[in-house]
Formats: sequence, C-alpha cells, structure tokens
Amino acid sequence: MVGDSMHPSTRKIIVLKPALLSPFWRFFGYFWQFHCWPDHLLSCITAILRASSPPFAAMLSQLDSLKTEALTALDTLSDEAALEAFRVDYLGKKGKLTALSGGMREVPADLKKEVGAKLNEVRDAITSGLTVRLEALQAAKDASAVAGIDITLPGRPGAGVGSLHPLTQIRDLAVRTLRRMGFTLADGPEIETEWHCFDALNTPTDHPARNESDTFYMPDGKLLRTHTSSVQVRTMESAKTLPVRIIAPGAAYRRDEIDATHLSVFNQIEALYVDTDVSLADLKGTLEYFFREVFGPTTVVRFRPHFFPFTEPSFEIDVKLEAKGKEARWIEIAGCGMVDPAVFAEISKKRGDNLFDPEKVTGFAFGMGLDRLAMIMHGISDIRHLIENDVRFLQQF
Amino acid sequence: MQVSLNWLQTHIDLSSYTTPQLSDLLTFAGIEVEGIEVKGLATDKVIVAQIQSFEQHPNADKLSVCQVDDGSGTLRQIVCGAKNFKTGDKVPLALPGAALPGGFEIKEGKLRGIDSNGMMCSGKELGIGEDTGGLWILDADLPIGKPINQIVESDTLLDLEITPNRSDLLSHLGLARELAALTGLPLKGVRDHVKASSTTRTAKADEVTLAATDGCPYYTARVIKGVKVGPSPAWLKSRLESIGLRPINNIVDITNYVMMEMGQSLHAFDLDKLSGGIVVRRANEGEKILALDGQEYALLAEDLIIVDHQRPLAIAGVMGGEETGVIEGTTNILLESAYFTPSGVRRTSRRLSLHSDSSYRFERGMDPKQVQGGSDLAIKLILEIAGGVAEPELRVAGEAPALVSTVELDEVRTHRLLGIPTLTTGDAHDILEKLGLIKQSANAEKSLWTIPSYRLDLHRSVDLVEEVARVIGLDRVPSKFNATFASGDATDRHYDHAMQLRQALVNRGYNEAQTLRLISTPQIEDALGNPLAQAGAAMLKNPLSEDLTALRPSLIPGLLASAALNIRQGASRLRLFEVGRVFLKMPNGMVREEERLAILLSGPVSPSSWHGRVTAAADVFDLRGVVESLPGVSALETKALKDNGTFLMHSELKIGNRVLGWIAQVHPARARQIDARQPVYVVELLLSALRQGSTGPAKFTDLPRFPGMTRDVAFELPADVSHSKVSAFFASIKEPLLIKSELFDVFTDPTGTKLPVDRKSTAWTLTYRNSEKTLETAEVEAAHARILAALQKALPVTIR
Repeated sequence: MVGDSMHPSTRKIIVLKPALLSPFWRFFGYFWQFHCWPDHLLSCITAILRASSPPFAAMLSQLDSLKTEALTALDTLSDEAALEAFRVDYLGKKGKLTALSGGMREVPADLKKEVGAKLNEVRDAITSGLTVRLEALQAAKDASAVAGIDITLPGRPGAGVGSLHPLTQIRDLAVRTLRRMGFTLADGPEIETEWHCFDALNTPTDHPARNESDTFYMPDGKLLRTHTSSVQVRTMESAKTLPVRIIAPGAAYRRDEIDATHLSVFNQIEALYVDTDVSLADLKGTLEYFFREVFGPTTVVRFRPHFFPFTEPSFEIDVKLEAKGKEARWIEIAGCGMVDPAVFAEISKKRGDNLFDPEKVTGFAFGMGLDRLAMIMHGISDIRHLIENDVRFLQQF
Repeated sequence: MQVSLNWLQTHIDLSSYTTPQLSDLLTFAGIEVEGIEVKGLATDKVIVAQIQSFEQHPNADKLSVCQVDDGSGTLRQIVCGAKNFKTGDKVPLALPGAALPGGFEIKEGKLRGIDSNGMMCSGKELGIGEDTGGLWILDADLPIGKPINQIVESDTLLDLEITPNRSDLLSHLGLARELAALTGLPLKGVRDHVKASSTTRTAKADEVTLAATDGCPYYTARVIKGVKVGPSPAWLKSRLESIGLRPINNIVDITNYVMMEMGQSLHAFDLDKLSGGIVVRRANEGEKILALDGQEYALLAEDLIIVDHQRPLAIAGVMGGEETGVIEGTTNILLESAYFTPSGVRRTSRRLSLHSDSSYRFERGMDPKQVQGGSDLAIKLILEIAGGVAEPELRVAGEAPALVSTVELDEVRTHRLLGIPTLTTGDAHDILEKLGLIKQSANAEKSLWTIPSYRLDLHRSVDLVEEVARVIGLDRVPSKFNATFASGDATDRHYDHAMQLRQALVNRGYNEAQTLRLISTPQIEDALGNPLAQAGAAMLKNPLSEDLTALRPSLIPGLLASAALNIRQGASRLRLFEVGRVFLKMPNGMVREEERLAILLSGPVSPSSWHGRVTAAADVFDLRGVVESLPGVSALETKALKDNGTFLMHSELKIGNRVLGWIAQVHPARARQIDARQPVYVVELLLSALRQGSTGPAKFTDLPRFPGMTRDVAFELPADVSHSKVSAFFASIKEPLLIKSELFDVFTDPTGTKLPVDRKSTAWTLTYRNSEKTLETAEVEAAHARILAALQKALPVTIR
C-alpha cells in the first residue's frame, strides 16, 4: 500500500537531491498522484529512482525526517505559546521547512513537481498536526474552564425580583378582559357629592348608607364615595352619544372598622352599558363570558335575585369555585342588574336633555369587590395583608 | 331573620320539599339562606328521669352521686357536676349509647372511682335550649321514661337575608305567602286568624290624640281588664325560643308572637300606670325616657314618642318604657297597634343606636292594613291564655294610609328588558297573579294591576318586571354576546401609562405596595414640606379612629409606614413603590385629587446570596438611576431645597421647566423612629408630568456610518462646583464634532493627602464624530483643545 511505503523507518535512509529529479520521475509522479498504482510496481520504481538520483533522494529523505521530527516534537508541547514557537520554528519565514523548501531551486525541472508534492505533504502534515494539537489544547482549556462548576447552585439575584401588587394584577386582569369585550375606562373623583353617590342612584334620602355612621364625610358636606357607581353617574352626565360602555376600577370607602374581612378603603370595578336596546340577556352573556375568562372556561355562574336601589331587576352573582382541598362551593362575587329607570330620570333631569330618556334607553350595570376577588383567587385569608405591604406577602405574587 | 320551619308549616305544607330544595327555592327567589340549623334530638335514648336522692362524691368536691329513676324499676347511679337540682326534680337523662349533638356518645364508666351509668343533661347539651347554668329541669308532670324527642319536637331553623324592599317577608305568614306563590302550594286556613274581626270606634280625644300624623297617621288601642300575667304555655314559649327569643311573660310573649307570626309590631302598656289618654307627638328637645332595656335616652324634637298626660311611655315603634311595661302583677292592659312611618323610626333608632325587632320592621315599612288584624289576633290569644275581658271595640285614631295603588305593566318594555324570546305575556301575567296581584284590565301593550296591601315595593312597571324576572330566574334568559367598538380616551391612556410605569419598576426589582388612602394626623408630617405639597391634608369630618383621620396628601407617609412594618419583621432590603391617588388641600380650601408615583429604597444594592453575602448599601444615586430609567424621563434636573426635620438632601426634580417631583433621604432622626439601620431614600413623582415626557412613538435616529474617536480629560476643580454646572458646560458648548460627554470618575480625598479636601478631581470621556466622513486625528485634536480652553475659561478647573 501507498501508506506503507511512507513509513518513517523505510524513508529515513532516503536522501533527496531534488535537482536530480528526472522528467521520467515527473511523469511517474503524475501517475502516483492520480492513479493508484499496484504496490509492488511502485516500490520497484522507487528503488530505481533512489539509485539513479542521489540529491533528489536526499531531499525527500530530509523532508521525511523533518516531518517525523516535527510531529514527535508536537506531541510534547502543552501550551499555546510553545505551539506558536513551534509554528515559527517549522513554518515561519525562517523556519526549518521554509529553509528546506529553498532547495527546490536545485531540483531538476522534471522532478520539481514530485518534490513539490512531498513538500506540500510535509507542510500539510505539520500544519494539520499543529491544528489538531491547538484544537485539543483549546478543548482541554475550555473543558477545564467549566470543570467543577456546580450547575445546581442558585443564580445571581441581580437587582432582585419585583412584584405587582395582587390587587393590581387582578384589576388588570379584569380590565384587560373587559377591554377585549369593548369596554373603555372611566374615572371620577373619590371625594363625591351626595348627589353623585346617592341621589342620582335612586337611594332614598333616609337610606342608612347615607348615615354618618356608615359613610365618611368631609367638612364641606361632600363624602368619600361608597362605591365606584358614582362613576356611572359622572359618565352619563357628560356622555355625548350612546352607547355608553365603560368600566371604572377604583377605590371606595365605607366607615367600617378594619378587621380580617373589612377595610375602610377598598377596591371595586364597575361596568355600565347603556343603549337603546340592552336587555337582561346582554347582562347575562357579558358576565358569564367575563367570569369564564377570569376563572377558566368551565366556570359556572349563577344569578340570585337581589335588591339594589339603582338597578331593577337586581341580582347577586355567585361563582362555583374550589378552595384548596375543599369541595367546590358558591361564592358571592358581584352584584348586577338593569339600570333603574329612576336613575335615567335623575340623569336626564340633571342634563336637561333626553339622551338618557328612561322611556327609550335601557342599560345594565355590574360591580364587584377586587379585594375579595384577589382573596378568593389567591386564597388570602386576611384582607389586611392587602394593605400592610409586608414584602414577604408581596413577593408571593 | 330566623325562621322556624315548624312554624312555617303551620301555614303551608312543605313536606314535599327537602331542606336543600327549600333553601334553593328561597335563594333563587331573592331570599338568601345564610344558615340552616337543625335543632332537636334524633336519638330516643334521652329520657325523662327523676332524681330520687343524691350525695357528695367521696373523691370530688364538685361532683354529686345521684340515684335516678329512669322508669325501668331499678334506680340508676349517675355522677353529676351540676348543682341546680333537688330531690324529686325531673331532668333529661342520656342513657348509655345515646348520641348527643356534636357526635358525643354516652358510655357507662367511672368518674373519680364511682360508677356512672349515663348523663343528666342541660338543654344546651341536647341542642334544644339555651345554657341555663345547669341541668334542664323539666315540667314535673312529664311521665318518667318518656323520650325527650317526643316532648320537644325537632325543628329546622333558617337564617334568611330579607332585602330591605321586602318588609312583607319579615314574618312567618309573609314568608309562607311567598312560598305559596313560588310553589303553587295552598296556604292553610290558619291565615284567616290574622284578618280584622273587631268592631271599631273612633277614639275620643282624651283616649288617643295624634299630634304628629306625619310620623303616626294611624293608631289603635284596646283595653283588656283582669288579665293574669304569668309564664306562657309551653307551645308559646317553644315557638319563641325556637327563633331565639326569650320568653318573658304571657302578654309580652303574645305581642312578640304576633310580630313574628304576621309582622305587626304591638306594644302592651300597664293601664293602671298610665295617667290619662295616649298622645303620639314629637319629643321635646332633651326629653328623657327610661326604656325597657334599662337605659335612659335623651330625645330630640325629631323623635316620635308615645306619652300619657304625664310622661313619655315609649319611643314610637322602637321600644317601650321601663315604667309602664307589663309585668307580673299587671291586671289591666292597653294594647297598642299602630302604623309608624319608616323614615322617622329609622332616624331615631339609628341616632340612639337602639335597634329592636319592632324598629327593624317599622323602618322597612309595615302594611297599615294589618294593624287591626294584629291587634285582634293578640286580643284573642290574651283572652285565651291570660284571661280577662276586652273592651268590645277597638279605639282607632287616624286612618290607615294607602301605600299601594294600581300599577301599569308596559308589555313591550318588559320583553325588551328581559330579552327572553320564549316568555309570553300569559307567562308573565301568571307569575304576577300567583304573587297576589289582581289584573284589572289588559291589552296588547299594557295591563293594569292591583297590588296587595303588603307589597309596598311595587309602584312602577319595572317593579313588576323585576317580579317576573325573579320568579322565572335567569336560567331562561339566553346569554347574549354583544360588543361595540370602543374608542379609548385619556383615562385609557392614563391607565396604560400607569401600568407601564409599574412594570418598569417591577423589572428593576421593586415590589408594588398599596397603602390605605386614609392616614393619621401625625403621619401628615411625612407628607408636607415637599415641592408637591399644598396647603395641607383634607381632614375627615367623621373619622372612625385616630389612625385614619385624613386623606393622604402624599404617598410617602404610607410607604414609610409600610417600611416600618417590614423593618419590624426583620427586612433590611426595601424596594417599595406605589402608584395611586393623593388628595391636596388647596389654599382656597378645595381638595384636588392627583395621581402620583412614589418609590422607597433602603438597604443593600443586591439581595444577599452565596455570590456575595453583604453588598454595599444603596444610596441616593441608585434611586435617581431608577427615576432616570423610567419611561418619559430624560435630562433630569435637580434643584436642592432646604432640609427639614423629615428629609435631607431634599431636592426638586424637573425636566426643563416642568416639575416632576422630589427626591430626598429620609432624615436619620425620622429613620431611627422606624428602626431603619440603613439610610432610607424616597422619591415622589407626578404621573401627569411623567406622561408629558412620553409623547408618541420614539423617532429613529440614523446610526452613525463613520467611526467616532474618544478623548479623556481629567481636571481638578473646587468641590462645591456641582456636576450639573460642568455637564451644562459640555451640553452648551458649540463644537460640532463633539457628540457626547460622559463622566466616568469623581475623586475626592477626605483626608486631604492626595487632594485638598475642598477640591475634587473628575474625569470625562468626550466622543467626537463627523456624520459625513471619517475623522482625522488632527481635527479631533484641534476640537479637543478648543473645548479644554473653553472649559478653563468657563469654570475654575485645572486640567491634569
């Protein structure tokens, strides 16, 4: 085989004198290169050439031994600097291989091709040896760079992990859901007039909710709104056209002692839809869709008749929810109803026009406590957690 | 309201309904069932037994060893801890094997070494009566050995939430009437006993005078003489006890019974203690009355009272007086049955914080048509139970007001409002008729209805629509999904902006807080003296407690309080922020509501971890960096303000001429009050100012096509020349090639060895670029030299 003839032990004795390469050899080299000659024929010809061209043979032999020497030396090198020195030593401008290749000038023209090929072969062997060695060294270095790292250790905390308050999260969930359903946001003052908070919402003048024991008042007679429903009134008061289709998340106040289930300031979200043909069917469809979006597609909702001064008919809404490890049960979650015509009448009186003519328009409204919703969703047992802002609480959300 | 199912069943046979079915039926008719309680014993192993003898337990001071006759012929030995019995008393005895309420089973055993073969019980232990402080002593005539559950029937109690519009449901008969309408079951004939049967005559002026007909337009009185006041019979006691009322005496119990039976609140006076006739009038300012609860109440001119010719007898509709009530020994009584207007009763009862079953009913509105029937039922029972002779006629003053009239139902609007295609006019009319309404006339568009006198809530067409909706329920209403396009306005944009700010802070590791909008008066100190503060805080007129007296004029007090709470819990690294509304009392006295963002920072830069246990404490520049990173903030300027007791390094933050807010370190003295061991920094910003900074989509600047060159310069200058002066110099210099100046080092030496203490050394990187071509070194050198020359001219610097 060709490979056998290149074994270092047989090549060592060949001393090439490239200048003596005959045209025949050039011809022969061509075949050697492109055709795979039978082994015995090859060695026979090589023997003839060695005998007939001593300088050529000497150069070939020198190249072979340089190759052996280089490859042996390469094995002993263990760092990049040494490899670079090796590269300069053999392949550099003043390197050993470069020096040997200077002998090409003396090789007879007809043998140049064959010696040149040998030269290339040696250069390739050294270069690829060098590359292999470099890559191995790099690989070893890369491997040792990560060796011993315990990837199970926790990550670097950076600036720490922030969190949105659970009330913000639940409010945003409600807002995003209702916006998809074509509601826009509305807002109003928290310090309200009695008219916006009660009168316009058909609340009797002696209704207990108006009492100073239940509602916070300001020295000037205004009050802190007891529900976000006052935003409904503000919206209708200033609406330019129908339909009115708004949601109003916001704070509301009740003069309750703070305990595990009550806050004197709490959060609600309110919705109002008024047009010329809004029915109970719209209310039902809207709320069922909303609660399924919020609590999941299999959520069951029920409507219990109830009483509110500002809607008729009125309903309370229960959602069937599973508490952790407990049987699913109905949880009261919202109030709703068809806007009472008395509300439209009062708005019309204030506006002095008939955009909200109680004989022509209908509407629905619903509202729910966001604190309660957050407590249900997250299994929070004490409402005071929502205002204390204990970081150990906040970071759970 | 507590309702006894047994009592209810005297009016309507509900045996075809299980309790859960009944509960659902009520709930979906708008009568929420808030609780169901089953009373009474299931086991028959609790029997009547008689104590034959007892002696002191030899090993226990508090125990007795009793020999008890259980009817078996041999005495049974029971060890007992109660003291309230004597030999011969009959008591309930739980035999071994009896299961008592709460899953407690009686077993034979030894108590302190003495055999005890059962347990003698209190009413409470049997789940029947209230705790009376010992054994339940039974009537002496009960046969020994009879199971208790044959003596005291079991009952189911429903706790119902009656909405304020349905005062007609505040009695067993009222509820039975509603259930009859909902189920189609007939009412039993027993309801007839509430119908007026007495003859009436107009009261003479010296008998009854109505001096305030707006508060009491209708009053009746009947005199019964020769009654014997004493304990009520067992049936009456048990009726009242079943719904949690305490029996007092037969007369008082009868008035309570009538109220719970049919909703009419009555009052019985001891006739012999009255002087002269009854007057119903407004109280004199400051007039006092000693009420049945033993309390004296001072009255106002708005309160309606019942008086005789000498003194106040009762607070009308709320509570009778202590001195003229019916007690043991009373023989002659005057029974009041009247109609008091709701608003007056409500006002008085609220103001006095005096709430009774009577006021509860009157303030929701009673049916004036039942005033006479109520009186008649009570008289009938008094004569039966307490004897005596009633005057033949009911004395009547005034007239029962007509509170209901006919109502027109708009058929078209009904269908539009309900949106139920399958609902026919006939269906709707059937429902109304079941509820006791009477159709007077009907055509395709409208029908006219007579309203029963007890349905005070039905006045308008929509009230009838509600009845229809309530009875058919929402199950028959189709779910309609319908939306219209909605165009957002400023409120929508403001909401999105606030969420964007929140998210930006969360991404920087901050926890969102939500603090109460109400703060205490001392907390106001934390909110004042800053550039956003106005005249002060808006105080509540009627605060509930000292902790919540004012609307917050700033978010900082709440955040400081939250920081204090967290520090108490051992937290040292605080990153809190809040977005919310504040309330500013303006110099003109008005209150302005404004949305703000506040951030509080204290403690190490990074959370501790295995990478490095202790990191440097964050400082004001960490907080400023956060502010500078917020959307809408660019070219932040600061103006130092005077420090005050609460804040150090107090500075106003501005963008151009626009005030953005303020930043400060909480004064160490204030920080010590909340036990903070690391400096606390706060910033408060106006959301409106932040919004002004984020205007529309960002505009793209072409990327530089030619490389820039940088030159560093270090210079010394007096320590009191602020960074803003130097940066203003670089910002203002007109050197077209200079595109950026960046501070990269500030050096001071407090020891004065490397640099005098009043000097500082700063180092800047200046970046030069020509957007049209590649720069040549020479032109950069020239520009740099020009800048350094200008710098030395403009500021007292020494280039190093």
